[in-house]
Parts: sequence; C-alpha cells; structure tokens
Amino acid sequence: MPEYANPVDPPDLGLLPTFRRLLRLWRGQWRLGVFGLSCSFGYTLISTAIPLLIQRAIDGAILHHRHSLWPYLGAIAGLAALRFVINFNRRFATARIGIRIEARMRELLYEAYLRYPRAFFDRHATGQVLSRATNDLYPIRYFIGWGLVQGMQSLMMIVAAAIVLVLVDARLALYTAIAMPPITVLALRFARRVAPISRNVQERKGDVTEAADEAVVGIEMVQAFGREDDVRERFGDKAGAVRDTVLRQAGVEARHLPGLYYLPSLSIAAVVFFGGRQVIGGHLTIGQFVLFETLLLQLVWPLEALGWITNLAQRALASAGRSFAWLDGIEPLPEPATPVHLPRGPLGVRFEAVRFAYGGETDVLRDLELEVEPGEIVAVCGPTGSGKTSLLNLLPRFYDPTGGRVLVGGVDTRDVPIAELRSAVALVTQRPVLFSVPLRENLTAGREDADWDEVLAACDAAGVDAFAPGLPDGYETLIGERGVNLSGGQRQRVALARALVTGARVIVLDDPLSAVDTLTERRLVARLRPALAGRTALVATQRLSTVELADRAVVLIDGRIVESGTPAELLRAGGHFATLFGDEVIAA
Amino acid sequence: MKRLLKYLEGKKLLAVLMLLVATGNAAAQTGGWLLVRDAIDKGIAAGNERRLTIVVAIYLGVAAGGWILQATLIRGLAGIGQGIVLGLRRDLFDHLTGLSLRYFSQQKAGWIIARLTSDVDAVSDVLSQGMPTLVSNVILLPAAIVALLIADWRLGLVVFAILPPALLLTRWFQRVSHVALVEQRNRIASVTAQIAESVAGMAIVQAYNRERAFQRQFDELNDANREQSTLVQKIFSVFFPSIEFLGVVATVATLYVGERLFSHHTLTIGTLITAIYLLQLVFQPLQELSDVYGQLQSGAAAMVKIATILDEEPEIRDRVRATPLARVEGDLDLDSVVFAYGAEPVLHGVSFHVPAGGCLALVGESGGGKSTLARLVGRFYDPDEGSVRVDGTDLRDVALRSYRRQLGVVLQDPFLFSGTIASNIRFAKPDATDEEVAEAARAVGVDRVAARLSGGLDHEVREGGAGLSAGERQLISIARALLADPRILVLDEATSNIDRPTEVLIERALDRLLRGRTSIIIAHRLSTVRRADEILVVENGRIVQRGDERELLRQDGPFRRLAHTLEGADDDLAEAG
Repeated sequence: MPEYANPVDPPDLGLLPTFRRLLRLWRGQWRLGVFGLSCSFGYTLISTAIPLLIQRAIDGAILHHRHSLWPYLGAIAGLAALRFVINFNRRFATARIGIRIEARMRELLYEAYLRYPRAFFDRHATGQVLSRATNDLYPIRYFIGWGLVQGMQSLMMIVAAAIVLVLVDARLALYTAIAMPPITVLALRFARRVAPISRNVQERKGDVTEAADEAVVGIEMVQAFGREDDVRERFGDKAGAVRDTVLRQAGVEARHLPGLYYLPSLSIAAVVFFGGRQVIGGHLTIGQFVLFETLLLQLVWPLEALGWITNLAQRALASAGRSFAWLDGIEPLPEPATPVHLPRGPLGVRFEAVRFAYGGETDVLRDLELEVEPGEIVAVCGPTGSGKTSLLNLLPRFYDPTGGRVLVGGVDTRDVPIAELRSAVALVTQRPVLFSVPLRENLTAGREDADWDEVLAACDAAGVDAFAPGLPDGYETLIGERGVNLSGGQRQRVALARALVTGARVIVLDDPLSAVDTLTERRLVARLRPALAGRTALVATQRLSTVELADRAVVLIDGRIVESGTPAELLRAGGHFATLFGDEVIAA
Repeated sequence: MKRLLKYLEGKKLLAVLMLLVATGNAAAQTGGWLLVRDAIDKGIAAGNERRLTIVVAIYLGVAAGGWILQATLIRGLAGIGQGIVLGLRRDLFDHLTGLSLRYFSQQKAGWIIARLTSDVDAVSDVLSQGMPTLVSNVILLPAAIVALLIADWRLGLVVFAILPPALLLTRWFQRVSHVALVEQRNRIASVTAQIAESVAGMAIVQAYNRERAFQRQFDELNDANREQSTLVQKIFSVFFPSIEFLGVVATVATLYVGERLFSHHTLTIGTLITAIYLLQLVFQPLQELSDVYGQLQSGAAAMVKIATILDEEPEIRDRVRATPLARVEGDLDLDSVVFAYGAEPVLHGVSFHVPAGGCLALVGESGGGKSTLARLVGRFYDPDEGSVRVDGTDLRDVALRSYRRQLGVVLQDPFLFSGTIASNIRFAKPDATDEEVAEAARAVGVDRVAARLSGGLDHEVREGGAGLSAGERQLISIARALLADPRILVLDEATSNIDRPTEVLIERALDRLLRGRTSIIIAHRLSTVRRADEILVVENGRIVQRGDERELLRQDGPFRRLAHTLEGADDDLAEAG
C-alpha cells in the first residue's frame, strides 16, 4: 500500500492503473462482452454483404437480365432480418455491460462511504461525494458499455469497407476516401472543443442555481430592504452568462456539425466524378458505382463515432481514476486487532492526556484530562472554538486522538469493536440530522425493536410529545423534503428523543437545545434529568439554563480544562465560568 | 407554448428567416441527390464527361451552400431559443421576487428553486438542442418525399407503403420510451436522494450503527434503477435496428418496383439509384425526431410547472393611486387589525400606537402572533380588517418600495448572502462608500468579529453564513440596518444560543441602532424588555397586557409568568418576584 500524505485525499489514479482496474470490472462481464463483440463482427459482415448484393442485383438483374431479381431481393431481406436480430443483441448486450458496471461502481462507492471516517467527509464537499457516485459514473458507463464495442466495430467496419473497395477499384478507393480524414479530424476536434464548453455551461447553470437559492431563501431580507431590483439584476447577469455560454457552444456546433453532415458529399462527388468517368470508360459497372457510394456513406458514422469514443474515453478514465483513488486509497476506521468488550453496568468516561488536531493543523485539544464518573452528568462549557465539539466527537470514535487515550468503562475506545462502542454511546449532534422516513422510524433509528411505551417516554422527556400529535399523521408523519419540515427546535427535540430511546449508557449532547425557545428549554431541562438517571452524560452548551442539567460543569479554554465544579461554586469563584455566564446574574 | 411565443417579440423576422434557411437546407440535402441522378443519366449513361463535370461542380456548390445554411440555422435557432429562455428565466425570477412572504412560507424553497433551474433548463434543452433537430427534420421529411415524387412518382409511392409501419413503430417507441424514461428518472432520483441523505447524515448513520440498514435500502434502489435502465435500453435496442431493417425493406421494394419500370423503359437507372438514397433520407428524420420526442415531453411538463408560479398573483400590490411616501417621522398606528393565513384568524382585532421614535416590545409564547404583527408593520401582508398607518397614512395607499426603503428589518436568524461581510452590510444601501460601511461596522462592533476572521470586513462569507455564529450574523445584520438608516425598525431578537461576549456586543449595537427611530422588537431578553417604552403581551392573537416593565411586574398577570422565561432573567426576577 503506497504512502499518502493525506489519507482521506489520495491522488487520482494514473491512466494505466485506472484502465487495468476498469478491465478487471469488465472481465466480470466477459460473457456479455464476447457476445457483443461477436455480434459486432456479424453486423459488420452483413453490413458489407448487403451493398454487395445490391450491386449484383443492379448489374446482373436490372441492367442486364442475366439473373432473376428475386433471389437477390430474398437474400437482402433475409440478411436484413438477421442483421436486425444481431443488432438488437449487440446493442442490448453492450448496454447491459455498461449498466451493470455503473451499478457495481455505485455500490462499491456507497459501501465505502458508509465505512469512511469523519475526516473524509470534512475534507470533501457533499456535492462532490454525491456526484462521484452519480453523474461521474455516466461517462464510465457509456465508455465501457457502448464505447469499447463501438470502437472495435468502427475499426472492423473501416477494414471491411476498405478491403471491398480496394478489391473493386484500388485507385478509385483512394480518390473517394478523400473526405474520410477530414471527417475524422473534425469529429475529434469537435469532441475535444465541445466538452470544456458544456462543462462551462454546467458551471454557469450552477451560478444561476446559487443566485436563485440565495434570493429565495433570503427573500424576506430582499423585500424588507426593497432590494428586489438588485437581486433581479444579479440573477439576470447570471442567466445572461448561461445564454452567452450556450451560444458559444452553439458556435462550436455550427463550426463542426454541418461539416460532419456535408463532408461526405465530397466523397459522393468524387465517386460520381471519378467513378462516372470509369463507368463511361467501361472500367466500372453502375452497380459497383452504387456499391462505392453506399459503403462510403456507411463509413461516416463509424468515423464520427471514433471521435466521440476518444473523448468519452478521456472523461471516463478521468472520473474512474478519481473513484478508484478513493476506493483503493482511503482506509476505513480500523477495528481493534484484539477486541475488548465493555463491562456491564454504568460506564465512566476518562480522557487521559488527550491531544487532538484536524489533519495536520494546530492542536485543538492539548493534554486534556477529564474524568466523568459512571452516572454523572457533566456540562462542558467554553467560548466558540474552544474545542467542545472536538472533545465530544472522540467518544463515538468519529476521530481518534492524536495523543493520549479516551477510555469508556475503563477500556480504550480503540480496543472496543466499533459497533459495540457506538451502541453504548448515543450522540446528539449540534445540527440535528433526521432522515426522510416517518417520525416513528426516526425515533427508533438507534434501536429498531424499542418498546413503543419507551419511545413515548423518551418523547415525553425530550418534548417531542408537545408537537408530534399535532402533525398531520402524528408519529407516522413523513419528515423531510417530501414530507413535513420540522423547525430547528423540533428537530433537536426529535434527535434528543432518538438518543434517549437507544438506551445507551453514555449520552453525548452537543448543544442539544440551542434552537429551542427559552420557555421550552426550561421545561425540558426539568424533564431530562430523570430521563438521564443512571446514564453518564456529557453536555456541551452555551446557556446557563442547560448547564443546570448537570451535576458538574467544566470549562474548556484553548483545548484544556481550566475549571471544574458545581455551577454555583464556579459562579462564586469568579473565574472563566463566571465570565461566560455570570454577567446576567451579577447585573442583578 | 403561448407564453413562450411572447418572447419572440422583435425576433419574428429572424424566426421566419430561420424557417426559410431550414427549407433551403432541406432543399440542398434532397436536391443534391437529384443532381446525382442527373449526373448518372445525362453524364455517365450518356457518356457525356463535360456534363458530368458541370453537374459535379454544381453538386459541390449546393453542398457548400447547405453547409453554410446549416451553420446559420444552428446559430440562428440557438440565438432565438436562448433569447426566449433568458426572457422566461428573468420574468419568472422577477415575478417570484414580487410574490408575498405567504407564498414562500407555503412552498418549499427547494420546489421553487427547481422551477427556476431544472425546469427552465428542460425548456432550454428543447429550444437549443431539440429545436434545430426538430425544425430541420420536420422540414426534411416532407422534402425528401417531395423529391422522391419529383424523381419518379411511381417509385415515390413505395414510400407510402413503408411509411405507415415506420410511423406506427415510431409512435410505439415514443409512447413506450417516454413512460420508461420517466420511470428511470424517478428511480435514479431515488438513488441520488438516498446517497445525498446518507452523506449529509453520515455522522448519525455511523453513530447509530445504521450502516447495514442503509446499505440494504441503497441496494434495493440501485437494483431497481439498474433494472429500469435495462428495460429502457431494451426498448432502444429494438427501435433503432427496426428502423434500420425497414430502411432495407424500402430498398428492396424500390429495387423490385424499379426493375419492373426499368425493364419497361419508363425509368432511368439514375432515378432508381437516387430513389434508394432519398428513401434513406425519409427514415433518418424518423430516428432523429424520436430522439427529440422525450426532450419535448419533459420540456412541456416543465413549462406546466413554471406556469403555476407565473400564474400566482402577487398579493401585495401597489394600488392604482398609490403615492410615494416622503420621509416619515415614524408614528405608527395599528387599528383593530384582523389577519388570517388561512381560515382561522391569527390576530383578532389588535390595536396599538407607537409615537415617532418610540420602542415597543412584543412578548409572548411562540405562535401567539408576534411575528405576524411585525410582518404587518413591514407590510409583508395586508390586514384582512382594520389598518396599519404610518404618520396617519394607510400603508395600502403608499407605493410599497418607497415605504420599504424607510424600513429596517433584523431577523432572528439572519440570512447572509454570498460575498464579503462588507458586501452584506452594504446590501441595503449599495451606493454606500467603504468608509460608511466601515463606520457602520465599527458602530455596532462588527469590526471586532471581523478581526478574528481572515480578511477582516472583506472576509468571504460562506453560503448562508455558515462559519459565523447566529449572534455574529445578527450583529452583521444590525450593521446592515444601521447603514440603511431606516425610520422604522422591526427586529426579531435571536433566541438561539449566543455566547456572552457577542451578546454584550449586540446589546450595545441595539443602543446605537434604536436611537431616534421607531422600533418594534420581538423580545426574548430581559435587557430588551427594559429598554422598551411599552411592552405588549401577545397571546392567541390578542394583546392581553400592556405597560412598562415595572407596571407589568407589579400585576399578577401573564407577564410575570413569562418574565421568568426571558434570557438573562434567572435570579434578579426571583428577587423581584
């Protein structure tokens, strides 16, 4: 395994390794691949035979009545029917290869995402992670499915047509091939030029989306200050930029596409002119003349396709290179080699000389020492950016400390099987995450077999009962984009209830009530204490009213615990804690 | 469709010109083959090399002309199409920004944005990619048939034998593939949604050991998508080879009929050959039009959805005789205001008066009607009954913009626009100088927040203001209001968690901002309640208590109960109570 500077952002795979990895996937579909290629071969043979038969029909049966026309017509129709069957199978087989490989790649990526450490998601924007498993896969699908086989077929077609034409009249073949090189060059050039512009169009469309998004989300501000004209102008500019890029794209199309359409006329003219003179001179039959035209016209698409395929290959290899880099280069969080199980009963938590830094940056936690007794509730206070969230995220092993140890129930978290650790530690994040499933399923996400009475009790403690019965379908209401949008405070309460339902012995609450209004908060704090009884809890907060939930408060400044005691003691002591919360009291 | 034609205004001549160009292009394509016939019959068969040379020269000229015409067509149609798209997008956006807040509270933001983006894009795809194909092929199909009939009407009849099955096949393909493609889009959308949701909520997925369940859901969706894609490909794999097959059948039929006519000496060999190629020109448009059909369908569906927004009537509109409002003193009067969002009124006849420069605090539990009152003052809604008057003028009689320019609003959780902190402060007054912006920032303490950020006031704010705390965002929005120098201020205090140092900054900023202005504050903090000249306790759409803090605390009423819930009310009120 090569060494990477940054384990969550490995460099893209080179062309050759990417190609090898793709071939390995392709090999899994080798039966379909061989079948598709055989069909291509058959298709090429028939497509060359039909013009030959037409030539014979014209020369032998129409111009000179040497043979009956019927056998020719029958043979042509029969071959055409056979070609239909072959062509269907070729298309369908190659498409299926692409579809299967697309689905397989997506599956591999998704599986990997589920196991990647938090640092990966910190490093890469959601949109990027998403498009790697969706849009980026399409070039791969079309290249593997259509491109490879079509490329082979194009080559076969060119070779077959060349053989026939040279056999009929080598010199004429040379003259009439006059349009073929320019078609190839034009097709290649077009594929190369249009790709960056269409990317550009996508980017400009992204700008429009952003401008629309801002104006819609910020509409109250816009209207309040009467700035409609400004945002309209801004949006109009972005929309105008889309038009300009699309028009530039049209310009590129206008310079290339008509050429691809009319360049074959050059070959036809050459056939008519040179071929015509050959016919007049008696060196060529009319039927052969038609054969030339037909085969030349049949070559146009395979040549154009080569242009598309080279372009597709570049894009496919680039995005596959990125995907494989992730799949091969990023290690999921390691499971312990010799797992130790957590003891029974309430679990204490201990941070021993813990140091922590996000990927190479300065330390967020410095030699932090903190011991939380089993069943104790500790509030972690401190100004914004003091390291509260980082501290809490070490408990479910979202990150491992860069120095020191984190112990749960006396066991180093790195020695506990990850699933076991995470079912013992329930977490409520700062920004609550709910899923687009019914409320009930959101509540039982941490323990599917939870008793409904227990769920209701948790809802009661977390204040979900105050609004859930009023939702359109009560606890069965669908949450999220396609369902009901809950307010920030409501979402926090659901997240809190979900954590309580798990029955986890350690509860980690990261500013759990920040979006709940003050009145509700007070009610909740009173109800939460009994619900947390017997469990160990760490609560990060910036509100004194939430601190009241705790038996003890600690103050975190610059990555160290600087004060510890009951809230009343700390207020009296007049230290950092008093500065954080005291003003309101002292002012009285 | 009618809506789109509106944007053709001033481009009608160009559109007609493009139709002519398309016709010329079709004539070049089909006419080329008629020239080939001439070359064969009059040149080759007749042994006339001169004639052959001339005809080939003309043929090349026609092809060159066609080349130019087609290039013109692509550019011209793109110009027309993009003009329409731009007009549509701007109109849609302009219309949208004029709709009332009620509309935005009822529709999800994602839904509205999709109309402005993916739906307009769908229309754009039809107009820029679909249109050239559509226009050229719709003209090419009859042109090829006409050319066939010109070449020889008896051979031309062959086409009428082959065309019906081809049309039936095309029709079948359009119907079946449309349904299948719509389903495919739905399925890939589900896959995307599943990945998006998992990635956004990965912390929780992992924290609650949900990996396996999510993998199972994903596998199901991924498989469903794969199966549907396979079906779609099957349909495509049947259709295009079928058309290819019919093309050969047409050739066979032409050869058959041609041979009969040729042996009776009523057909030249050149005509026969030309007919074979012209027939292929009849089949080519069928294939290309089938490709565009799906685009047309989604474009039409998108247009229907766009129309739902365009048909939405703006609720707040200037009356015909609305007059611009001159600089107001700020005397504010609500007179028996009744207001309902739906059927149930949320305000039942509320009246209050704030003298110019006065400060009114609204307190009460959420859902009582405080925000609605604040929005009526900002004229985001008009009252159903009663009136809102400023300096004695009913707000419904003034030009909205002239009033809003004198209004400042600070929201509870303010939205910041992408750009710098400075550009966000400047938002309300785009022509403000850098000094004015810096001054406003200094006056409310934004400079202190900016100091800890790279770039200071020129620090780039990320989307929506992520990276800044709610308190800091509110501070920036206070600076914004200060710079706008409004006469009337509507402020919804932040309830969410603000650390003490920022809170102190906000209190000082408010001192500065409220000075000399009429203000309505939805208060969540004791310090703000104390600052107010009058406090209204709002419950269930009614004012249940009013007075200043001292009076209200003396009474045994709702305020005393509420006061305990205000931020910063912990111990001193216990003392007072």
